Amino acid sequence: MSTENTNVKSEDFLKVEDLRVEYTSMGSIVKAVNGVSFELKRGETLALVGETGAGKTSIAKAILRILPDISATEKGKVEFEGQNLLALKEKDMQLIRGHKISMIFQDPMTALNPTMRIGKQIEEAVLRHNKVTNAEAEVRAREMLELVGIPADRMNEFPHQFSGGMKQRVVIAIALACNPELLLADEPTTALDVTIQAQVLELINDLKKRMNTSMILITHDLGVVNETCDDVAVVYAGKIIESGSKYEVFKHPSHPYTNGLFGALPNMNLDAERLHPIDGLPPDPTNLPDGCSFAPRCPYATDKCRHGEIELQDLGKGHFCACVRLDEIGKER
Amino acid sequence: MALIEVEHLKKYFDTPKGPLHAVDDVSFKIEKGKTMGVVGESGCGKSTLGLTLIHLHESTGGKILFDGKDVTKLNRAELGKYREDVQIIFQDPYSSLNPRYSVEKTIMEPLMISGRFKTKAEVRDEAYRIMDMVGIEERLRGSYPHELDGGRRQRVGIGRALALGPKFIVCDEPVSALDVSIQAQVLNLLMDLQEEHGLTYMFVTHDLSVVRHISDNICVMYLGQLVETCESKKLFEKPIHPYTQALLSAIPETDVDKKMQRVQLKGELTSPINPKPGCRFAARCMFATEKCLEPQHLEEVEPGHFVQCCRYKEI
Repeated sequence: MSTENTNVKSEDFLKVEDLRVEYTSMGSIVKAVNGVSFELKRGETLALVGETGAGKTSIAKAILRILPDISATEKGKVEFEGQNLLALKEKDMQLIRGHKISMIFQDPMTALNPTMRIGKQIEEAVLRHNKVTNAEAEVRAREMLELVGIPADRMNEFPHQFSGGMKQRVVIAIALACNPELLLADEPTTALDVTIQAQVLELINDLKKRMNTSMILITHDLGVVNETCDDVAVVYAGKIIESGSKYEVFKHPSHPYTNGLFGALPNMNLDAERLHPIDGLPPDPTNLPDGCSFAPRCPYATDKCRHGEIELQDLGKGHFCACVRLDEIGKER
Repeated sequence: MALIEVEHLKKYFDTPKGPLHAVDDVSFKIEKGKTMGVVGESGCGKSTLGLTLIHLHESTGGKILFDGKDVTKLNRAELGKYREDVQIIFQDPYSSLNPRYSVEKTIMEPLMISGRFKTKAEVRDEAYRIMDMVGIEERLRGSYPHELDGGRRQRVGIGRALALGPKFIVCDEPVSALDVSIQAQVLNLLMDLQEEHGLTYMFVTHDLSVVRHISDNICVMYLGQLVETCESKKLFEKPIHPYTQALLSAIPETDVDKKMQRVQLKGELTSPINPKPGCRFAARCMFATEKCLEPQHLEEVEPGHFVQCCRYKEI
């Protein structure tokens, strides 16, 4: 399998434009993703950060086109190496899915087939996308297992014989088996203990460097973002409300919601007496408020925030923030 | 005076392969009005320790002294009284509430059982007082668990635990199922309630930043054994046991300017079934020598700082 072509830097690797995802559920329309646009360069890692239900996973599933056809509709454009994935036929999409783009799922306990030996589960992906014999696929599966730190002798065992951390490694091995160019990692470490999380993050970072894979990492853990990502996009109610390089967003969080997220975290380095939670709850996606969706929880909200579309403003250095009161808030604080 | 004193507590489970040492020879004290944090990886026995303390599990050996009385020797009637004094908040607010009970009924149930009130109206008034205390809005009183979000459900769990005015509460990962913004609301509530009512907590969690925020003292557990215990601040400043050091260094750093010095652990937890004597961490420890395979004892390194490691001086 070749990796040499991936060393070329390309500007238009992945470009998502005005992506919208809607679900119909019990007669009402759930607006999960509402006009998300971002770009990803080859070899870079973008973090999508936000609370449960913010629409992070829907974004990833829309890119890979694995949303349920019956209840979900996706609109907009997902340009991957110049091809709009949303316009592709399912048959063509199958050539990309699992091959050029693959996904690490959140819960390793349910992502694996419990009745299939793990070696076979890795071989399955290899056989589907490469013209190889069964024996060659097995060699590849062994390689992948060793790569993620599992002895290849264990390839004939079933998922239940592995611990949570090892199962997650198997899931990673499957995702990486075809040398994907883009990896979608949906909370890959949330179900793991910190010590195992550290091992898995190290592994992902190492593989990223070695294979120059691009990655979209979905998480709500700001510590994980800091350790693995180049860029950050904060997602709230299906919209990106702040984005920029990791350094810019962590050093100068601008949107009141981003600030709220940082304030709500117990700080390891400071002895704060009380945490500062964000009041209220995320809005109901079947009934999003007009204007800024964070306005009902925002301490700085005025009438200006409650009407019309809130656009992303350029703060310089590639840092964008969707807040109309940015200048004034700076003075109030 | 210590409210809870645990001496050489053991809890073994029988398995087909032999006894599983979930909690093995653990001793500590919790002072009145303080919070003891218990940290460790999943499967290290921290939840079992909590459940054994409130006597939901029968202990295999050792003593649990509550207000000077040995809990392991209580009879049925005395246990009933003990359970009014100790309560538990469970990890998963989704499965620890009865889906067929309304919020009101969930909180009224312990009040009815206690027999402290003469009429149902009195019980209801008391339940409303508790709901106000834990911040459950009036309009949610008749709601069912599936209608509530995680944070509110956990408030119901907290309300139920507080209903009978307990002295000691075991919090078993109460915020690990919640989002950060909601997690902060619940942690603040727990701390406010502690201040108001002089509650004593044992806070079981694997989230080290949370435990540092809420605890006065911390126990670090590894495969059923207590490997280090001391004041919370001291533990984070100067961890001594190699496992504690590795655990603390595994926390992802949120400060972009800081570069991490990480002690990486190889391998995973070994089996707690029929463990060999000696330090259970030895298999993953980079400082391990033959001395570590002998039985270990908790040593007082500094006043109030206990470590179970025979090589701490050299390390």
